[in-house]
Amino acid sequence: MNVDIALFAYLADYQPDGLGGRSPRAFTLAEGTTIADLITTLGLPDEPRIVFVNGKHAEEPAQLHDGDRLAIFPPVAGG
Amino acid sequence: MSPEVDSRLCRPPLEPNDDPALRARLAAAHVAIIGCGGLGSNAAAMLLRSGVGELTLIDFDVVEPSNLNRQLYFADQIGRPKTQALAETLLRITPDAKLNLIQHCVTESDLVDLVSPADVVIEAVDRADVKAMIANTLLREHPEIPLVGASGLAGFDSANTVVTERLIDNYYLVGDLESDVRQGHSLLASRVMVAAAHEAHAAIRILLGHPQA
Repeated sequence: MNVDIALFAYLADYQPDGLGGRSPRAFTLAEGTTIADLITTLGLPDEPRIVFVNGKHAEEPAQLHDGDRLAIFPPVAGG
Repeated sequence: MSPEVDSRLCRPPLEPNDDPALRARLAAAHVAIIGCGGLGSNAAAMLLRSGVGELTLIDFDVVEPSNLNRQLYFADQIGRPKTQALAETLLRITPDAKLNLIQHCVTESDLVDLVSPADVVIEAVDRADVKAMIANTLLREHPEIPLVGASGLAGFDSANTVVTERLIDNYYLVGDLESDVRQGHSLLASRVMVAAAHEAHAAIRILLGHPQA
């Protein structure tokens, strides 16, 4: 299945193409891949994050589906 | 506060082109602010000055000397609970404001109940993990209530890099998304207040029916 993945802020450094930036990249993933699986594959740090799929909030155990648009945003401290 | 003050004088003046219905809409509105530090204390004042009628102020902390460089507190309020000190100041600005004070550190289990009566929630806390907890909890359990959060307001990078984005339907994010206090950036009053103003203005636009960022 094909999924678009956008990584915000410092997570952009973890895009496999090394180009940085928050623009979505196309990934081909095995059927049944969960958001948590993908986070592990990308090697994202264990830091606070908020996940969206297709413009809705999503939970990390959820499975991805063909055509999904995933975005991961990590809030940073300060207030 | 002088008892002779006519509270109507403390409302924003109606300009010739002002729509009284919009003022009425703000006066009937309720915004919950989680965190009364640099973002929340300043956003609260701006919301009231813009005519929002009711605020719920949530913070567990007390005023400390280190807060005075950017937060809406005064030296003679050091040691007092922030919610009470802020309410005292806000009522000097808008004597008839309705303020609900909650001196408490929000948790995943009580967050929804604490903010549920509000029309808009502003996340104004300092820690990244608490920002994520608030967003994850409210977007999961209460997705119909608009949430305005902040991320990336530290340091002295240009104020023009602090923006409001609408990440998804009911989640707005203010900041440059990058500047982390933990990277050694200071929290400067000027840039923090830019972010606070963005948060307050995003809430006002949502209340007035303009959901675009």
